[in-house]
Amino acid sequence: MAHQAHAYHMVDPSPWPLTGAVAALLMTSGLAIWMHFHNTTLMTLGLILLLLTMYQWWRDIIREGTFQGHHTPPVQKGLRYGMILFITSEVFFFLGFFWAFYHSSLAPTPELGGCWPPTGITPLDPFEVPLLNTAVLLASGVTVTWAHHSIMEGHRKEAIQSLALTILLGFYFTFLQAMEYYEAPFTIADGVYGSTFFVATGFHGLHVIIGSTFLAVCLLRQVQYHFTSEHHFGFEAAAWYWHFVDVVWLFLYISIYWWGS
Amino acid sequence: MYYKFSGFTQKLTGSAPATAYNPQGLRSGLPAESPTMIFATPTKVVSEAGATAEYMGANKVPDLQKVFQTSDGIPVHLKRGYPDRLLYRTTMALTIGGVAYCLVALYIAAQPNRK
Repeated sequence: MAHQAHAYHMVDPSPWPLTGAVAALLMTSGLAIWMHFHNTTLMTLGLILLLLTMYQWWRDIIREGTFQGHHTPPVQKGLRYGMILFITSEVFFFLGFFWAFYHSSLAPTPELGGCWPPTGITPLDPFEVPLLNTAVLLASGVTVTWAHHSIMEGHRKEAIQSLALTILLGFYFTFLQAMEYYEAPFTIADGVYGSTFFVATGFHGLHVIIGSTFLAVCLLRQVQYHFTSEHHFGFEAAAWYWHFVDVVWLFLYISIYWWGS
Repeated sequence: MYYKFSGFTQKLTGSAPATAYNPQGLRSGLPAESPTMIFATPTKVVSEAGATAEYMGANKVPDLQKVFQTSDGIPVHLKRGYPDRLLYRTTMALTIGGVAYCLVALYIAAQPNRK
């Protein structure tokens, strides 16, 4: 490698932006083809291409950061800003669903019976499974902090165990939410209550699954000695994301499950 | 070699020129001499480190760092050799084939219904 007099990362030419863009083309076109011709081939092709792109692109970022040493302090600063901006955009994404919920619930229309929850809707009891879910997510916030401190102090075994515990709590939350969905006495088609409830909690559930996957990748990397006590931004980004998902749940719980019932 | 007084060991230890104890200041005219590196303990190879350090497998990061830091001009996505090339070619084949299939499908979808 030629000598470089600065600490910035000069990336190698990469095919992944192209393959990712084509995956997006195939998935959107595939969706239209599916709706018109009842054929999911193109959409499945796009999904496979997207998964291949995601795997290889992130694999290369691990190679650049952990094996090639390109993630110098100024590069890490850029990664931090990037993650902060990404999570900020996610905050506004959820803000839209909260807006829809409060718009519909603060001044219920006559069609809903002028009340909230709307006439005919039996909401879920917030002090049963949703309260347990709150406790599960708060506990996972504790275990992820435990994992972070274990990594910072070089306690490998403790870090692996606490991170595994965090992921298990994430899966338990997803399992409980799936049971709640199955047992719910209303559906997404039951007016604005069902729509706002399932879209907001459903996207939150999707984010829990993404966060669990992110933490699971961190667990695999921790087992393979990728994180040092000084340099473990991949883990920190996953922890930030996990806390974000946790905070969104607290707002969902207070607004939709508790106040909204 | 430059020395400084270590507050921890209460002895003189080796140091970098900038942090060395220089009551008279650095003498100009002398050629700069890089300090000899002093390791507190000999560097341990992973296999010597014992069973506790190998909880859930040995550390392969130093070996992988050697592999990925060889300067052979190969971009990072192909650096690991055959498995990388196989996966890359599969992805590229799906990309090109997918674009062709997509264009055909969209062309057919754009034709008027002749029924």
